[in-house]
Amino acid sequence: MMENSQPKPNIIQPSAPQPKRVSLVTRPRKILRGVLLGLLLITIYSLATLNNANLNLAEAFHSLGVNLSAMFLHPSVGQDSWQLLLRALVTSVSLALLTTLLGALIAFFIAVGAARNLSPAWLATSIKAVMAFIRAIPTILWVLIYSVVMGLGASAAVVGLTFHSVAYLVKAYSESIEETPQDTIEALKASGVGFWPIVFQAILPSIVPALLSWTFIRFEINFANAVAVGAAAGADDIGYFLFMAGSFYFNFHEVGLIVYLLLGVAIILELISMKLRGHYLKQTN
Amino acid sequence: MKTNYHSPQQFFRQRRLRLFTVLVILLGIYFTSMALVNFQTWNSITKIPAGLIWLFHNFIPTERSISSLGQILYQLWRTLLVSISSTVVASLFSLVFAILGAKTTTPNEAVRLIVRFGASLLRNIPVVAWAMILLFSFKQSDFTGFLALFFMTLGYLTRAFTETIEDLDAEKLQALQAVGANYFQCVFCGILPEAASTMTSWVLYMIENNLRDATLVGLLTGTGVGFLFDFYFKSFRYDAAGLIVLLIAVLVIVLELTSTQIRRAIA
Amino acid sequence: MLKVIQLDKTYGSDKHSLQSVDFTAQPGEVTAIIGPSGAGKTTILRSINQLIRDDSGQILLDDQDIRQANKAELRKIRHHIGMIFQNYNLISPLTALENVLHGRLGAKSTIAGMLGLYSDAEKTEALELLKEVGLQDYAYQRCDQLSGGQQQRVGIARALMQHPKMILCDEPIASLDPKSTKIVMDILRQLAREKQLIILINLHQVDIAMEYADHVVGINSGKIVFTGPTSDVDDTVLQNIYRQTDTSESVVSANEN
Repeated sequence: MMENSQPKPNIIQPSAPQPKRVSLVTRPRKILRGVLLGLLLITIYSLATLNNANLNLAEAFHSLGVNLSAMFLHPSVGQDSWQLLLRALVTSVSLALLTTLLGALIAFFIAVGAARNLSPAWLATSIKAVMAFIRAIPTILWVLIYSVVMGLGASAAVVGLTFHSVAYLVKAYSESIEETPQDTIEALKASGVGFWPIVFQAILPSIVPALLSWTFIRFEINFANAVAVGAAAGADDIGYFLFMAGSFYFNFHEVGLIVYLLLGVAIILELISMKLRGHYLKQTN
Repeated sequence: MKTNYHSPQQFFRQRRLRLFTVLVILLGIYFTSMALVNFQTWNSITKIPAGLIWLFHNFIPTERSISSLGQILYQLWRTLLVSISSTVVASLFSLVFAILGAKTTTPNEAVRLIVRFGASLLRNIPVVAWAMILLFSFKQSDFTGFLALFFMTLGYLTRAFTETIEDLDAEKLQALQAVGANYFQCVFCGILPEAASTMTSWVLYMIENNLRDATLVGLLTGTGVGFLFDFYFKSFRYDAAGLIVLLIAVLVIVLELTSTQIRRAIA
Repeated sequence: MLKVIQLDKTYGSDKHSLQSVDFTAQPGEVTAIIGPSGAGKTTILRSINQLIRDDSGQILLDDQDIRQANKAELRKIRHHIGMIFQNYNLISPLTALENVLHGRLGAKSTIAGMLGLYSDAEKTEALELLKEVGLQDYAYQRCDQLSGGQQQRVGIARALMQHPKMILCDEPIASLDPKSTKIVMDILRQLAREKQLIILINLHQVDIAMEYADHVVGINSGKIVFTGPTSDVDDTVLQNIYRQTDTSESVVSANEN
């Protein structure tokens, strides 16, 4: 995801006397400035031409303030019941769990085919290309597309979410597999060990921490996606209630309550992820 | 970890027991979730091939879809603009917040905690909730999508920038302080140039991400390319909807490749 | 007995290539391959178990030509050839015991290998082997917590777990301090004697080769320039092996590794 930048040696020049003017701007610097300038220009153009539908911005922001205070200061269950909302929240979490587990299992086997140090180059490259294509299409569109075939509801949501999870995890997993040193794989090959035993006995144990951490990240994404799917494709989860409360009943007290519930889940997930990481660190030291 | 066992057999028994427990827990979670969501694994998996065939059959753009191309491209362009501008505007705010919130540069501890908490709050409110909250006040305008993405991005980038600043070598900052630079000189000459390329890298990543989320926000708020997809989709014009999916995929991939190139060039 | 006959290998450039390599290695003996860096020592070793495919020649292990073996036969042959490496190449998050047991994986069916199903006898044997290399107290330690010398001894135990006829050692002591070097080399010599193994070692430390090897194969630019008992190696022979390249270079590269 992120490349770490190298410390720039060009910033502090040696103070040796130099006759000419010292240029502090290197080529990467120039490109960086160009990119930032370009983005800024696009932004200015975009803001200037933003379709504001004749909005009175002052009024709009004022109403936003009123709504926010209704949401966060006076949350309530609205026309639904606690039981209904909590059930829907559990459904969302289940949806995220289900699609993450299913996605992780499928993704691992595909990732073995997509890892350059295990598979022939043509196979790895073509799998990666297909996965990049699937990833490029937003999750919600996958869910909608599958809802035509399977009907709106849980099955389409699960399949759509899993589809995107698989594409995401194949990339993450295969990159983790590619990081296992070629030498250790070769050592086992040299003693006549076959392909799958090497995968399960040598590679898997080496990359378990990386797999866990990627899977957990994907779980968090899937939870957010599950909520989105409920809102946009009508799976019976908390997103659906959020959508109905927000754009149908205009009940911002209920929107507030649901947001609090979602924040609660997010905090719990954060805590679990910290625990997991702590547990792993203890094991390595 | 225990490092002494009576026999290797005992060691493997314990290891197998642990593995087995984990497996049982995972299976338990899977089947419980399956029941709660009311999802039939086999039933659905067997439908996937048929679904894909249907997809290729109906979602292939036809000559008829070409007539919608102009409109689609225009909305795609608007969506791209909204993703870029929301990210860039958010990054400017995030930069200020990150400097206030990073351990190494914060003016005081209270400010740091407020920034941290605020960023975490913004990040954890799902984009759907933002869309719902904003839709009422800002109606069906690009502005709704812009703000929804803006708030999300603000949360993410503030955290990312804060961590970037904290990862910088503290000694370099001390060296500048030792030379007698004041706070602003330290920040502008010591920190920003060092962190610029990492931060730009994050900005590019968020633009990619926002383009995907913009589709969702558009779907919910009735704007941009997401709305157009929904429109064609609901009126059974699958060929045009397919064209949109294809174009989004192409745009995302082009964006990914471009930002990879840029990252490499500025690293 | 290992017999290498007329082995040829060319890469794009002339470096690392082999030209008509001929030598034999006897069970019960330590055979050292020495020569300047880049002479082809590693290429020879890796050709023997076909990690590198060579161009032509014969490699006879107990009269079976390894080069003619098909995929399944090659796996079987490889299972009886242990190999240890400069960087040990163990699976670092696993325990010493599990790494030793990996020596049995080649003899298992795919399913048993995947699941790591070892018999009780194999587990006991793995522990015995760790005892033999002096690591019984470290059996349940993760390998990344062991020192270099200890990891190399785990590597040797893993090779022994294969019940090998021959052990190939690719610069086994290049990353070790003198004390660990002595322990590892003593173990290897003892194995050759007691288990009648063929031990073939790539070395770039001439003094170690002189001290431990029974037989020396000298190689320069892909060609054998000397084979014979260690007692026949004198200054003229050494100069011939290391000619054209400064001997100090091999010492430098030894420190670099």
